[in-house]
Formats: sequence, C-alpha cells, structure tokens
Amino acid sequence: MIDWFRRLTEARFRIATQLYVGIGGAAALTLAASLVALFAFAQVGDSQSRVNQGTVPELAAAFGVAQGSGTLVAAGPRLTAAENEGELDRTFVEIAPAQRDFERRLEELMDLEAGSDESLGGEAEIASIQARGAELIGNIAAIQQSVAEGFELGAESEALRQELGALQSRIAALLVPALDDQLFYAMTGFRSFEQPPAPFEVHFSEPEIDRYRVLIGLQQDITIIDQLLKSLAVLTDGPDIEPVEERYESSATSIERALSAIGETATSDQLKALFGETLDKSRNSFDLRRREVDVLDRQQELLEQNRDLAARLSDDVESLVAASRSRSDAATVAASQAIRTGRALLIGLNVVSIAGAVFIAWLFVGRLLVRRFEALSSSMREMAGGNLEAEIGIGGKDEVADMAAALEVFRRHALEVQRLNLVEKLADELKEKNDELEVVLADLQKAQDQIVMREKLAALGELTAGVAHEIKNPLNFVKNFSEVSGELLEEVEEIMKENEDGSLDEDQREEIAEIFEDLSGNLKLILSHGERANRIVNDMLKMGRGAAGRERADINRLIDEHIGLAYHSARATDPNFNLTIEKDFDPDLGTLEVVSQDVGRVFLNLVSNACYATNERRQKSADESYEPTLTVTTRKMDDGVEVRVRDNGNGIPRDVVDKIFNPFFTTKPTDQGTGLGLALSADIVREHGGMIRVDTEPGEYTEMIVELSAAPPDFDYPTP
Amino acid sequence: MRSRAAQVALTAAAWAATTVLVPLLAAAQADPVPGVSVERVLFGQSAAFSGPAAELGRGMRLGIQAAFKEANDTGGVHGRRLELVTVDDGYEPEAAIRNTRRLIEDEGVFALVGGVGTPTSRSAVPVADEAGVPYVAPFTGAGFLRSEPHVINLRSSYAQETEEMVERLTRDLGIDRIAVVIQNDSFGRAGLAGVRAAFEKRGMEAVAIGVYPRNTTAVKTAIVDIKVGRPEAVIMVGAYQPVASLIAWARHIGLDPVFMTLSFVGSNALAEELGPSGAGVYVTQVVPFPTARNSRVAAAYRRALSAHTAGAAPGFVSFEGYLAGRLVIEALERCGSAVDRDRFIETLKNAGSIDLDGFRLVFGDEDNQGSDAVFLTVIDERGRYRPATRLEGAVKR
Repeated sequence: MIDWFRRLTEARFRIATQLYVGIGGAAALTLAASLVALFAFAQVGDSQSRVNQGTVPELAAAFGVAQGSGTLVAAGPRLTAAENEGELDRTFVEIAPAQRDFERRLEELMDLEAGSDESLGGEAEIASIQARGAELIGNIAAIQQSVAEGFELGAESEALRQELGALQSRIAALLVPALDDQLFYAMTGFRSFEQPPAPFEVHFSEPEIDRYRVLIGLQQDITIIDQLLKSLAVLTDGPDIEPVEERYESSATSIERALSAIGETATSDQLKALFGETLDKSRNSFDLRRREVDVLDRQQELLEQNRDLAARLSDDVESLVAASRSRSDAATVAASQAIRTGRALLIGLNVVSIAGAVFIAWLFVGRLLVRRFEALSSSMREMAGGNLEAEIGIGGKDEVADMAAALEVFRRHALEVQRLNLVEKLADELKEKNDELEVVLADLQKAQDQIVMREKLAALGELTAGVAHEIKNPLNFVKNFSEVSGELLEEVEEIMKENEDGSLDEDQREEIAEIFEDLSGNLKLILSHGERANRIVNDMLKMGRGAAGRERADINRLIDEHIGLAYHSARATDPNFNLTIEKDFDPDLGTLEVVSQDVGRVFLNLVSNACYATNERRQKSADESYEPTLTVTTRKMDDGVEVRVRDNGNGIPRDVVDKIFNPFFTTKPTDQGTGLGLALSADIVREHGGMIRVDTEPGEYTEMIVELSAAPPDFDYPTP
Repeated sequence: MRSRAAQVALTAAAWAATTVLVPLLAAAQADPVPGVSVERVLFGQSAAFSGPAAELGRGMRLGIQAAFKEANDTGGVHGRRLELVTVDDGYEPEAAIRNTRRLIEDEGVFALVGGVGTPTSRSAVPVADEAGVPYVAPFTGAGFLRSEPHVINLRSSYAQETEEMVERLTRDLGIDRIAVVIQNDSFGRAGLAGVRAAFEKRGMEAVAIGVYPRNTTAVKTAIVDIKVGRPEAVIMVGAYQPVASLIAWARHIGLDPVFMTLSFVGSNALAEELGPSGAGVYVTQVVPFPTARNSRVAAAYRRALSAHTAGAAPGFVSFEGYLAGRLVIEALERCGSAVDRDRFIETLKNAGSIDLDGFRLVFGDEDNQGSDAVFLTVIDERGRYRPATRLEGAVKR
C-alpha cells in the first residue's frame, strides 16, 4: 500500500504523466466550450425555427395574396378595355390562372392559420384578407358579366345605327330631288318635260312655297336628328342624355308636324313611311344609350371597388407583417441573447485554455523539457565530436534523467576503449603510409630517368649533325695529305729510276730529301687531324654515355664549341640558313667547376632555339634585307659569370612567355620539339647554383640570360 | 511565293463568290418588285364602273386595254405582258381608298393607272404615296395632283381647260356675263378655282354660281340660281348626267346661253344623254379629236381600239385611256428590264420630251404633267362631236 502510494507520488514527476494531465485538461476545456456552443446554437436555432415555421410562411402567403390581388385588380381594366366578345373571352382565359393562383394563395393562408397549433397572432387580419379576397373574386366575375352585357348593348345600338343610316340615305335620295323639283316648280312652273308649264299664280303660290318650306324643314330636322344621335353615341354621363333627348323630341315633333302638312303624293307617302320608321327606331337609341352608360358606370364602380379592396388587402397584409415583425423581433432578441451568453462563456473558456496552454508551454515544455533535452543533446554532440571527457550533469527523476544516466555509462566505456586502440592504430597507419610513399618515390625516380634519357637522346641527335661536320674536316685533311703524299712517293720513285744504274746524283738526292721533308710534314698534319677527329669522337662518346662528373671547364671554350655544334646542326636541317654570329667573350672569364656536358647542353639548347627563331622569322618575313644574327656575350661577375644569348628572331608572344620553362611546353610543331629543352636547361642551371631568365620583344628579339655561380651548391650528383 | 499568294487570292475570291454573291443574287431573286415577274407587269385601276360616272371608268379601261393589247401582241415590254386589274369604286372616295389598298396589298400591282375623278384620286393618292406606288394618268385635271411625288399626269389641268373656255368666250364671242355651275365636291371646287383664276386675270366675276349635290341629278336649284344672273354663257363643272339634265332643263325653260363644260363630263356619254338637244354645247378636251383624219396618234388609237374590240366607237375617254396605256408602255420601255417603282417615276421625270405618234408629252423634275394641250369640240345638230377652232355663238336649233 505504501509502495503503491510512493510509486504514485513518484509518477507525478514523469513527463508522460504530466503530458497526459495537460492534454486531458485541454480536452476537457474543449468539450466544455463545445457544450456551451451547442447549447447557444440550439437556442438560436429554436428561435429561428419558430420564426421560420410560423411567421415566414404566413408572411409569404399573405404577400402572395397581396400580389395576387394586385394582378386581379390590374386585370379588371383589361376586361373593360376588351373591344369585342372574343377579346373579352380571351382576356378572361388569360386572367383565369391569376385568379386561380389568387384563390390558391388565399386557401394556403387559411390552411396555415388553421394548421398552426399555437396562436401566431394576426387572425383578425387573415380573416379580413380572406373576406376581401372573396369579394375581389366576386367583383371580377361581375365585371366580366357587365362587359359582356355592354357588348350586347353595343351590338344592339350598332345595328340600330346601321338601320338608321340606311333609312337616312333613302330619305336623302327622296328628299334632295323632291326639294330640287319643288323649288324649280315654284320658280318656273315646270314639273316635267312633257307637261306644259303651270301658270304663275299656280306655281308661285302660297301652298307650293309652303310645300318647299316643309321639305326644307324636313331636311333640316333629319340633319339635326342625325347630329343628335351622333352626339348621343359619345355621351358617357347619364344626366347628359336628358337635354339631347329633349332636343330630339322637339325635332321629332317638328318632323311629325311637317309630315302631316306635306300633302298626299307618292313621294310624300314614301317620306312619311321612312320618317315614321326613323323616329320609331331612333327613340330606342336613348334607352339603349342609358343602359350602356349604366353598364359603364357599374364597371367603373366595380373597378373602383377592386382598387379599394386591393388597398385594404395590402393594409391587412401590412398589419400582418407588423405583427409578424414584432414576433420575429422577439425571436431575434432571444436568439441574440443566447448568442451573447454563449459567446461570453466561450471567450471565458478560451481564455482559460490559452492561459493554461501558455503556462504549460512556459513551465513544463520550456523550462523542464526543452532545456534538459538541449543539455542532453549538446552532451551527445560533444561525444560524437570525440570529446568523451566532459561529464553529463543532468539530474532529476524523469525520463530525461534516465537517458542522461544511460549516456554517462556509455561515455565511460567509450573513453576506455578509445584510449586502448589509439596507439596501435597510429603505428599501423604510419607504416602503411611509409610503404606507399616508397612506392611512389621509386615510380617518380623511374619516370625522371626516362625523361632525362629522352632529352639526352634528343640532344645527341642534334649533336650528331654538328659532330659529323667536325669530323669531316680532319678527314678531308687526312685524305688530301695522303693523296699528296702518295704523289710525292711516286715522284721519289721516278727520281730513283732516272739513272739506269740506280745511282743518285746530288741534285736528285737533294730533290728526294726535299720530298721527304714534305712527306714528313704531311704525316704530322695527318696525325694532327686524325687526333682531332679522335678527340671529337671521344667527346661525343662521353656525352652519349650520359653521365659525367663535375670538372673545371673553360666556359668561353665550352660555349664556343656548342655554338658551332648547334649552328651546324641547324644548317644540316636547312642548308639555306645562314647565321651571323657575333661573339663578345670576356677574356677574364676563366674556368668554373661545372658538369661541362650539362652546361654545354644548356648552350646547345639556347643557340638551337635562337637558330630556330631566326630561321622562322627569315622564312616568314618578306624582307630580303633581314639578316639572322646571334650575339653571345659573356661577362665575369663578382660571384660567377653571366652569359647572354640574344637573337633577332621573332620573339616570344607575351601570353606564353611565362610558360616557356614549363616541361612539355613547346611552340614548335609536334615532331620537332619535346618541350623539355628549356625545362631541363633551367634545372641544370639551377643545379649549378645559377638562374636563367628571358628578355624578349615579340617580332624583335629574344635574349636568354644565364647566370652561373662561381661557388655552386654542394649537391648529390651521380658520378660516373 | 507569288503563285501561292495568287492561289490564296483565288480561293478567297471563290469563297467570297459562294458565300456573299450567291446569297445576294438569291436575295435579289427572292425579293422581286411587286407586280413585276419574268412574264408580266400588273397594273391596277380603281375607277367608276357604276353610277353616273360609269362611262368614264369604262372608257379609260377600254383605252388602256387597247394599248396593252397592242403592246402584248408584239411581245410585250422587255418580254413581259402587261395586264390590268380593275375595281369599281362607283366614284365614291371611301371605295377608292378600299380599292387602292386592295390593289396594292392583295393584288400586288406594280402601279395604278387610269383612276377616274378628283375626289376619288384625292383619297387614293395618299394611300399610293404611302406605299410608294406610282399613280399614273388619272382622269382628272385637279391642281393638287400636279405636285404629288408619286403621281404622273397625262392630261392638262382643269385650270388650263377653264382658261381656254374663258379665253374663247371673251375673245371669240365677246361674252362677259358668265355663270358657273359646279358639283358640290372637290372636283367642282377645282373647276371653280380654275374659272375664277381665269376671271381674275381679266377683271371679271361670275354673274351667278349654281351648285348641285354630288352623285345626284338635282340640278334644278342650280338652274334657278344661275337664271337670276342672266348669263350669256354657263361653264359647267360636273358629271355628264347632271350636266345633261342641267342643259336640257335650262333650254326647256328657255334659258339658252352658250354651254361649256370640261372634258371630265365624259363627252360621248354627254352627247348620248343630251341627244339632239345637245347641239351647240362646247366641251374642252385634253386629247385630240378621236376620229381626226390628220392625226397620227388618233389613227393609232383607232387601230388599237378596233383590234381590241371590233366595231367599238372611238371616244375621248377611251382615247385618253389609250394614251395613258401608251405612256405606261413608253415608261417601261425606257426603264429597261430591271424595273422598279422609283425607277419608273424617275425615268419619266427625266425623260424630257416623249412623242406618242405626234402627241407630245414633256416632263421635268418639277413637272409631273405631260401634256398642256386643250382642244375645243362642239356637239352638232345630229348630236355628234366635231372639232371647233373658235366659238360661234349658240347653235340655233
């Protein structure tokens, strides 16, 4: 029990425990926030759905009714504006959907009111809307009926007008000629072509003139009646009809009076009948017109009522809207209250959550975990970097402390092992490197020997031409003197055969003695030239053997010999090449201790290059006056000698002047140079404690300056 | 490169030809000029074929048909036959309007020709004008038709006829007591305006003016009215029946001045109506004497007339109808085969002088009246017309 309790108290230091507690707390807070939000939303939703389920459909239906009433009210004038039966029917068919729609909307509104379980208010308005809607529908039907009635009346009055028009034409057709005739008769007494004229007192008498007046009166009255009927047709006010009828009656009376006074002729009988019919029929016009005006008035009244109904309907809808608005306002207030409460709670919880998170991050993550992990990690990095000496100083009772303890154990072990292995390993590595270096050294030596040998062979090739020339001269001497000597011996033989007894006289003896003297001289010369050839061959052999020791050598002579060798070598390659050689030798130069073969090779090389450069310039230059010239100057210096080899060849381009001492660098064609000449020369001069440098102007000259030290360094040079 | 460009251009041209030109041509074929087809040109005539002016309508129709037949017998105009569709308006303006609409909208005539009467023309012209339809050679001399854009007049105006009457009366007979009888409508007023203009020129006034209602023969009141003025001559502007009635009654009651009337009276009908009592009545004409031996155009007319109706009597009205037909034919000839309504009118107005077998017509931009000629005729004792060069006083019976 105590053990269990102790483990529990210890566990509270563990990171896992702390993390579980932190995450659990956050989850609990989130859950609480969600519950608050859920509660607030539910409240808002409840308010909203109450508005949605009750007020909104009710409002929509009420607006629908108002809208439908507007359409119906607008349809009224369309019905009254119809010009004939067909148009009326068409219009009625057209507005039928609007009417059905209106009825449907009314029903919807009723159903909504009846179907709602709780009172939404506005029942009075809805009842009023229903009543007015029904009235409106009734009115539309009444308007249609009235318009149809109007058409019937219109058709009737149109038919009457037609009849009256026809009657009037017939009256005019009778009345106009009758008037014409009556006037003519009254004035002239002529009634027809056949009858003779009546006497003046007969035709120009009171009755005839009266008769004319009656006819004129009839014409005037029928015109008045026509005018009155025409004005009647456009009257729209009932009271206005009365005075027109009054005037009509007076004209009718006047016509009746005239007709009774017209007398009895065929024409007057016809006229009476026509006028009688006209009056009978035209009287109906007034009644007809009154009915028409009544119908129009009724239509106007109905339209007025409709407009009024629509206005009242829209008033009802408006008050319904007002009621609904107050209800929805209440719902909105409740909803916003719920939202406010929820918001406050959520903000509170969020603040607590954020504060908790910040506290945990700062205290636990920042202070405890991260810092300890950083310490651990820096210890590890140090160990990885090879420093196993530093101790790991992390204490505590959590997982990090456990790791630190384990790492400390590891560190100690590693330290021990490291120390044991180090010495052995170093020894092995050293030996290995040594072996490798030896192998490399051997390889290098071999390569160097090969390079040197190659260069030697190249120099030898160059020498051979010069040597051949040198040898040729002594050999010519030997040949010539041998031939001369042979001739001298033949002369001696002839002299000795001059006397048959073989005796010699004094002159002959003297002659022979002279010849012997000459022979003796010749032999000496032959010997001397033979020795010279021998010496040249020896020299060459010495050079070909490839190694020589250091000896004192006359530098001027050494240089002179090698200039010759180089020049002849160049001439052997190109017989057209001529070189003016100017030598300015310091007679006090004396000797230096050198490897004369090597130094000779340096000058051979330099002069060879000068020959090549001048020959190049000569061949490339169009200038006939160009004269290849080589100037070799020797000077004694305080601690050695200085030799300048200057040619007026084409110089060295500036971009390559720094590279000319590099091995294998050459400007000559591939088969003509090894690129080692100057590199080896520089090596040789350096080995003799001197230096070689160059002064050149492209297209003008090149001067190689060689300095040889009087006291060369002591170096290990292989001896023959 | 160049040939490629040329190919592209050719292709483009071919494309343009098929997509633009073909529909254009199709449209040109699909939207033809009303009344004009490959085979025929259709003309319409609304005139009086019944009532007191029926002889005028019939005469005009006869003349036009004679001219059309003459042209059609020689292959038509540019290969098209000329056809005439006629409708009776009974000399009533309302009917003239209806008829003109019907001819333009239902019959689809190319132009209207040979309408009869001033009030009828006055009603029909606005309808034709609105539809852009030419209104050619109406049988009236009313002044207002002389300034209508879609009207082409053949004959002299009433003013020219009345001027001739007053000139002859004053010049030949020295008469200055002249009365006027007019029909109570625009025709009558047009005639009266012409007479008054002629009077005004000479500082005269009508001694009396009589009026009778249109489409009646109730002229006796007018006789009574003019009798008061003791006229030496009466100029009558009216239809042939009332005019004949007026002359007959006036002479019957002993009123016998020089009677003169306008061409519109329908001369042959007038002579027929009057019978022998018509002797000495002068009628001004706008066409030459139909039976004149020395007139080429009259001869051509008589030829055409007898070719159309064997034995038909030549007359002034059908002569005018014939000239109207000839004018239409001449205009179509000059338009070429691609004729349309505007072109028809433009062609005539730009034609300058047109010579119909010696009958000269001159049109111009501001002049839509072809002839200015007025011819004087008189009815003789046998009730027949003969040409008159001067007045010779009332012919004794």
